[in-house]
Amino acid sequence: MKTAHVIYEDGEHKWLAMVRDDTRPGFLVDTNEYLVVSDGDAILLDPGGSEVFPAVFSAVSTGFDPRRIKKIFASHQDPDVISSLSMWLEFNPGIKCYLSWLWQSFVPHFAGQEDTFVPIPDGGMDIMVGARRLQAIPAHYLHSSGNFHLYDPKAKILFSGDVGAALLPAGEDGLYVEDFDRHIRHAEAFHRRWMGSDKAKRDWCARVSALNIDMLCPQHGAIYRGADVQRFIDWFSRLEVGVLKA
Amino acid sequence: MTNSHSSAEAGRELRRIVRINEEIKIVVATAFKINLMAMNAIFLAKRAGQSALGFGVLSNELRRFASDLQQQMAGLREATYGSVATVTAMLKQSRISRLLERARTEAQGEGKDLIQSLANRRDESTLAQSDEQMALLNRRLSHMIADTAQLVELGSVLARSAKIEAAYGGAFSVSLMQVSSDFETTIGDIQRSFENLTKNQSEDFAA
Repeated sequence: MKTAHVIYEDGEHKWLAMVRDDTRPGFLVDTNEYLVVSDGDAILLDPGGSEVFPAVFSAVSTGFDPRRIKKIFASHQDPDVISSLSMWLEFNPGIKCYLSWLWQSFVPHFAGQEDTFVPIPDGGMDIMVGARRLQAIPAHYLHSSGNFHLYDPKAKILFSGDVGAALLPAGEDGLYVEDFDRHIRHAEAFHRRWMGSDKAKRDWCARVSALNIDMLCPQHGAIYRGADVQRFIDWFSRLEVGVLKA
Repeated sequence: MTNSHSSAEAGRELRRIVRINEEIKIVVATAFKINLMAMNAIFLAKRAGQSALGFGVLSNELRRFASDLQQQMAGLREATYGSVATVTAMLKQSRISRLLERARTEAQGEGKDLIQSLANRRDESTLAQSDEQMALLNRRLSHMIADTAQLVELGSVLARSAKIEAAYGGAFSVSLMQVSSDFETTIGDIQRSFENLTKNQSEDFAA
């Protein structure tokens, strides 16, 4: 069962991380889901696959009234990211799903009507959550051809989808990165294989280096905090990606 | 929470539709063959002249029978397509119900109540509608199979009559007999397919 952790709180403005489902079958990749709450409004980031819906819903319910979730942000189109949309829409048919315009006619194969989706243009857009203005930051080709991350300038948190992801072994699956050098070994193969474009990677590194980030929250693995954020960006900028190594 | 549509039931329903569709394909191919055979029989009757007038009339009727059969089979295929769409929706509903049941088990406090109330609403509306729709489609399919089986019976009578008429074909009698025997065999194949269709439909519909 997943547990919800408050990773940021400032009055009515909160970030919750739903992580580590110990009842998850081993053949399903582990995922992190995040909920950004502001002034009673909430957006769920990469809500996960259908199979983890029960765990995510239960974890969210412990910290927040799920009926107040009116928005979903999907970094890209993968099933572990957004196939639970059918379940969330079953729960609340009025939910709006923000995702790249590129996937606007693909993701409805999971669920949703035409008016469910709010297409994000390639350059990104602002998404209001309560009084907070969040920014959809372009991360195309990392790894999906229509890919966005979500930045909260007030909380200084960047939700980074698959960038920063690590497939952690049992016993090394804490909420936060504690030992960067040890942790990054579990991220290396993933980034080499899944991130397809060196140019896109360099663009992203330049773009996010200009942001003020306290926490970098990936969809898989542990959260980078403080100096580990820039350490990760530097490591990623040097990494050779888009290669298949035996 | 009740879930009257288990995935196993929906899966069984889908396999039944596949079996029906396979039989339909066989019958459609055979109906096409009868159409060609009837055309050849009409030419043969013309060559035989006065002594094969009756055979010619029956060959025309068999050609019409082949055309009617093809039409009926197109209707059946459409009906099974409708069943596939309903079963697909049932499978989707069944998956949603399974996940809601797990969410209800795992959630606590208000989350549990919210899921329970959603599940109750679904049980009352969506699932009942699927049940009704599936029953309606099954009834329609059964009627269509029964109607078409009667048509096939008519084809069988025509083939037998053609055999009798062939005996009066004079010099062409042997050739006409051969053609009418082919009709009889081919329509016999269709009758067997319909026995399978009726069996598939009634067995699983009853289940």
